[in-house]
Amino acid sequence: MRGPEVVWYLAVAAFLFATGALGVLLRRSPLIVLLSLEIMLNGANLALIAFARHTGNASGQIFALAVMAVAASEVVVGLGLIVAISRKRLDLDVDKLSFLRG
Amino acid sequence: MIVAAWICLVAPLAGALLITLLGTGISRRAAAYVSTASVLGAFAAAVVVFAKLLSESPHARSHPSTVWEWLNAGSFHVGLRILVDPLSVMMMLIVSGVGFLIVAYSIGYMDGDDEERRYFAYMALFVFSMLALVQAGNLVILLVGWGLVGLSSYLLIGFWHERPAAIAAAKKAFVMNAIGDATMALAFFVLIQHRQTLNFPDAFAVGPGHGWLVNLVALGLLGGAVAKSAQLPLQTWLPDAMEGPTPVSALIHAATMVTAGVYLIVRTHAVFEQAPRVQELAAGLGAGTLLMAGLIALVQTDIKRVIAYSTMSQIGYMFLGAGLGAYANAEFHLMTHAFFKALLFMAAGIVIHALAGEQDIRKMGGVGRLMPVTRIAFLIGSLSLVGIPPFAGFFSKDSIIASALGRGWYGDILFVVALIGTFLTGLYAFRLFFIVFPGEPSPFVQEHLMRGSHASGLEGAHAADHSHGVHEHKGEGPFSMTAPVLVLAVLAVIGGWIQFAPLWHPVSDWLQPVARPLAEPTNTQEALASLFAFLLGLAGIGVAWMLYSSRRWQVPRYAFAARLLEHKFYFDELYDLAFYRPAVACARLLQRGFEAPLVQGSVGGVGWAVRELGLGTRRLQTGLVRTYALAIAASLVVIMVVFVAVR
Repeated sequence: MRGPEVVWYLAVAAFLFATGALGVLLRRSPLIVLLSLEIMLNGANLALIAFARHTGNASGQIFALAVMAVAASEVVVGLGLIVAISRKRLDLDVDKLSFLRG
Repeated sequence: MIVAAWICLVAPLAGALLITLLGTGISRRAAAYVSTASVLGAFAAAVVVFAKLLSESPHARSHPSTVWEWLNAGSFHVGLRILVDPLSVMMMLIVSGVGFLIVAYSIGYMDGDDEERRYFAYMALFVFSMLALVQAGNLVILLVGWGLVGLSSYLLIGFWHERPAAIAAAKKAFVMNAIGDATMALAFFVLIQHRQTLNFPDAFAVGPGHGWLVNLVALGLLGGAVAKSAQLPLQTWLPDAMEGPTPVSALIHAATMVTAGVYLIVRTHAVFEQAPRVQELAAGLGAGTLLMAGLIALVQTDIKRVIAYSTMSQIGYMFLGAGLGAYANAEFHLMTHAFFKALLFMAAGIVIHALAGEQDIRKMGGVGRLMPVTRIAFLIGSLSLVGIPPFAGFFSKDSIIASALGRGWYGDILFVVALIGTFLTGLYAFRLFFIVFPGEPSPFVQEHLMRGSHASGLEGAHAADHSHGVHEHKGEGPFSMTAPVLVLAVLAVIGGWIQFAPLWHPVSDWLQPVARPLAEPTNTQEALASLFAFLLGLAGIGVAWMLYSSRRWQVPRYAFAARLLEHKFYFDELYDLAFYRPAVACARLLQRGFEAPLVQGSVGGVGWAVRELGLGTRRLQTGLVRTYALAIAASLVVIMVVFVAVR
């Protein structure tokens, strides 16, 4: 069974990645930023799997699995941070969280 | 015998170490006794060595002994080597004998000082250093001793370290001596290069065909001798060294250390004989110094400084003798000088001690009535210094003067200078004596010596030798002070009879195997020199009597001459101008032109640059997460474009 050409998959992956990147750059809510990060990671995963299938090599899929694990742990940390921020009753706005300004 | 020689060397060192290590574990008095005993032990050992040597035949009296070789470089070996021969034994006897008397005198003189233990440790260290110097069997050990006496001299001049003048004097002495040490070391390098050895006496046979080389070596050695013995042109440190305690002045700056230069010339006479011009230079420097010091001594008002200049003058005579090749006479004068100069210093010390540290002779006067013993001792010392028979100086000084005769026009000049020197000696020595001792006690003396006690507040005002809570002794001090003075007085009377050149001359015979004199004055010359010297010395005393005792003559005062003499011929000013100021100017120039812009500039510049860089880059740290994300994204895009473009 043959699906569409690999380039279509890549196009979708690039679209997902770009959407995520724009979300990270443009949105202020840390929750949305995390969400956008996940979208970027999924775009990358899609590209990995598409290539794996294209070349008939399973290692890309293994990579995708690893990325999912990393994404899961990243979400844990990120959400934990967000909970901590809201517990401190700070604004959930990444632009206002600029304590590391030099 | 060799063992005794080593004991002689090591005993004072052991004393110094013992006092140092025991620290406050022993009383001050005990430290004084340890020091005295160690020097006495050295003297006893020296006597044993002397007796043994005496029993040998004259030409077998040379015993080197090496215990340890510590420097082995190819064919060049240097070891801890001593040499026992007539010359070193004579010096050992003088150093340890006079040293013992002076350390014993210090027991009374330093009694009650805050840091007596340190003082006595230094004294023992000095005696050890001086013995190392005179017993050295090669030039390296000699240089070690040479440096150590310089060190102990520095330590003892600056003994009262809370007095700025003492510290300055100590530094001056050390620096002046360091110049001599440096020239000596350079001479040694030349010797090592050409002789491969520094052992006595092989090192001195530089050999023919090295005319300039021998001259160089001799000049280097002369530099060392001149610095240590306070001769022209490195003489300025000795008068300042009188800031030290009076026994130190007696031991180091009169009897022993300052005569080390004479010893060096006699010891290395083989080198000097191969460089006759340098040897004549040594004689000339001695003559110049004896004249100059004699003149300066006429106007000094500090009792110790007068004696210090007299020391310079007398060492000038020794240099004159050594420079003319009359080694035995120079050594003989060294010995008698050790007796009568130590005597003068210690008698002066008794006066200073009784007057709560006052050294200004203008405040003294009539001390003699209250201190009859000191008066006699000082008189004996002065007569011996002037060379009046039958006192010691007569026998030794006149032989030196006689040796200048029959040596051509140069010798004649030296002869005349030496005779003028005897006149000056009579004048300054008895100026001092007549001002200080005879007559009615001055008000100052009365206040100190006649009343039972006086307010302790006064002592602060007379802050010279003794502003240290030393409790005042009535009269002439304790037994430990008067006894050595009396012993030395006896020696100053009879010490000269050891050698009476026309009739018997054991000193010359004794030193013959080590240093064969270049010329022995004939009996006529001796008689001529003695006659002139005696008459001129008497004339000096007579003039002093007219000026300062009977006061029949006014003391003449020529403004220019007085200023010249009071400024010591402007040597200090000259050296200040010639060396100190250029050095300071040079340092200031380097500080402004090099240190500030380059060294400090580079160090400061690094800090400044880092700071500026930090200030610039801190703006990049906005703290905005989205800026960072944008930067990452933008960088990624750039990298991707580059990769694609490069492919």
